[in-house]
Amino acid sequence: MSDNVGGVPEPRDRGSFVRAPREFYGGLVLVALALFALWASRDLPGMRGFAFGPGTAPRMFAIVLGALGVAVAATGVLTKGPGIDRFYVRGPLFVTLSVVLFAWLVRPLGLAIASFLSILAAAGATPESRPLETIIWAVVLTAFCCFLFPYALNLPMQLWPNNWDLATILKGLSTIR
Amino acid sequence: MLDLLQHLALGFSVALSPMNVLMCLIGAMVGTLIGVLPGVGPLATIAMLLPITFGLPPVGALIMLAGIYYGAQYGGSTTSILINIPGEASSVITTLDGHQMAKQGRAGPALAIAAIGSFFAGCVSTVLVAALGVPLTSVALLFGPAEYFSLMTLGLCFAVVLARGSILKALAMVMLGLMLSMVGSDIETGQSRMAFDIPELSDGIGFVVVAMGVFGFAEIMRNLEQTGTRDVINAKLSGLMPTWPDLKASAGAIGRGTALGAVLGILPGGGAVIAAFAAYTFEKKMSKDPSRFGRGAIEGVAAPESANNAAAQTSFIPLLTLGIPPNAVMALMVGAMTIHGIVPGPQVMSKQPELFWGMVASMWLGNLMLIIINLPMVGMWVKLLQVPYRFLFPAILIFCSIGVYSINNAPFDCVITAVFGLIGYWLVKHDYEPAPMLLGFVLGPLMEENLRRAMLIARGDPTTFVTRPISGALIGLAVVLLVFAALPMIARKREQVFVED
Repeated sequence: MSDNVGGVPEPRDRGSFVRAPREFYGGLVLVALALFALWASRDLPGMRGFAFGPGTAPRMFAIVLGALGVAVAATGVLTKGPGIDRFYVRGPLFVTLSVVLFAWLVRPLGLAIASFLSILAAAGATPESRPLETIIWAVVLTAFCCFLFPYALNLPMQLWPNNWDLATILKGLSTIR
Repeated sequence: MLDLLQHLALGFSVALSPMNVLMCLIGAMVGTLIGVLPGVGPLATIAMLLPITFGLPPVGALIMLAGIYYGAQYGGSTTSILINIPGEASSVITTLDGHQMAKQGRAGPALAIAAIGSFFAGCVSTVLVAALGVPLTSVALLFGPAEYFSLMTLGLCFAVVLARGSILKALAMVMLGLMLSMVGSDIETGQSRMAFDIPELSDGIGFVVVAMGVFGFAEIMRNLEQTGTRDVINAKLSGLMPTWPDLKASAGAIGRGTALGAVLGILPGGGAVIAAFAAYTFEKKMSKDPSRFGRGAIEGVAAPESANNAAAQTSFIPLLTLGIPPNAVMALMVGAMTIHGIVPGPQVMSKQPELFWGMVASMWLGNLMLIIINLPMVGMWVKLLQVPYRFLFPAILIFCSIGVYSINNAPFDCVITAVFGLIGYWLVKHDYEPAPMLLGFVLGPLMEENLRRAMLIARGDPTTFVTRPISGALIGLAVVLLVFAALPMIARKREQVFVED
């Protein structure tokens, strides 16, 4: 116990109910995922006699996952553990943005433009990137990819938009598929 | 014995003509160069480079294909070690210690040991394939669905036990992986499961999508947090080749990994993946200081790399004797072989001996080429790590995006990968390890299929898994493993609880 010279009773550690937040919330999310899976497979038939149905295995695994999630959350309550590590926003945001941008643009606008814009978006993920450097690197990378994938590897990808007509392009952008 | 030598001699006489050696060299180079790209794993590499071989005569084509195969596998190991992106399922294990070694400035030794271990394992397994092909097939035939299910359960227990952190969380991750693998279409009825009417999900989530997201993108997101103190750049490079102590430490690991891989590779389906996990777990358990694993222990790279190469070689046995390709990469190779006139099956050995043995010899040759090309090139790969991260990560991102897109020409796949990137980021923040999840994800469909079949055959009797001898032994082993792994944790927790007061 810590030294407590004056004989004054120490206030009880009224730390939160959750002594290991990282475990607790982690476990809770797993339980939520398991419940979601159970909901998603609700319309699948289960066992018929001794034959497994399509829904049996998913539900089985979901239940076990839920139980394990509860167990992990329980350790979050019963044992002391680290708090939740800080979630940074900038990195994940721009990385996700970059990939989604690529996915959105690659069909209507072709590989070249989609890659270029995607790389520029990715560069936003770190404060270390400088504008001119980034643009030059984006051009170099885009050129390399545009050579490598469609030509060197013969993959069926379009480099430029099929049709430079703005209306068609906008229509293509309105759906991600 | 004499037979064996004669066969091998025939094979080598076919494989070692200067033209064929050149073909192999070219194949290995190209395979490595493409396999090293982050978006592109061995499967995609072989698929892309297959057309190069069409114009060549059959033996030459097969030899080039062998070179491409090994190059692609090694390229996958390279990305696992350097940037923590597994090229295929069996490389997931290599990321654990390999990437840690890279972060400590020891990428060179890691890459070199991966090549050396693979080569040794390849040599030993080639001899095994040559000597024991037919008899070993009969062993494989003893495995029915119940045995397969138990074997995979054992494999999943390996994955749980080798986790660095808590066993409970690793189990949860395995379950998560199993559950994720259920998305798609039911194998028996074709009914859509948990796919929410999204067409891209009707065939399930692809391995590349999950691996790229959870390993690649999440790793990038994590690295971006530490502006200025990036592990990858800051570690001073301490030599490109393994040191003598490194080699001594890995020797045992390579031997054990080879043995495990050779045995497990014979079983069609999941052999190489389970072999890699099993070898790693075995090394960790046998080591004097298990806490080194997961933090850059060289045995943690040597063992799984040897195991998966040995398994890849011995998986030729069921391939050539039963005609069953053990995984997608092999299926592609079978397709290539068929195009060039070899139809895998029992008659190949007798009807086309020069093709068969030539192929066996060419696989060995491909393995050798790998060492020859890649050991000198280790320096070059390692230099890649020193590129400033703000240039490196957009390159990784765009290669991954294009790579994922190129699988199905489906932009939605990239979106799913991004989602898995966020999931991976969340997992890291909450101390969950992605490797057990990946193994669960890979083995899930096979496990479910075998579970259903076993139950059907046993008419709904779950005790069949323990009453059948091989299956019972495997399950017993799994239980023992879990108990041994949980014991120290229980002891520690009890202490913790008492200390907590």
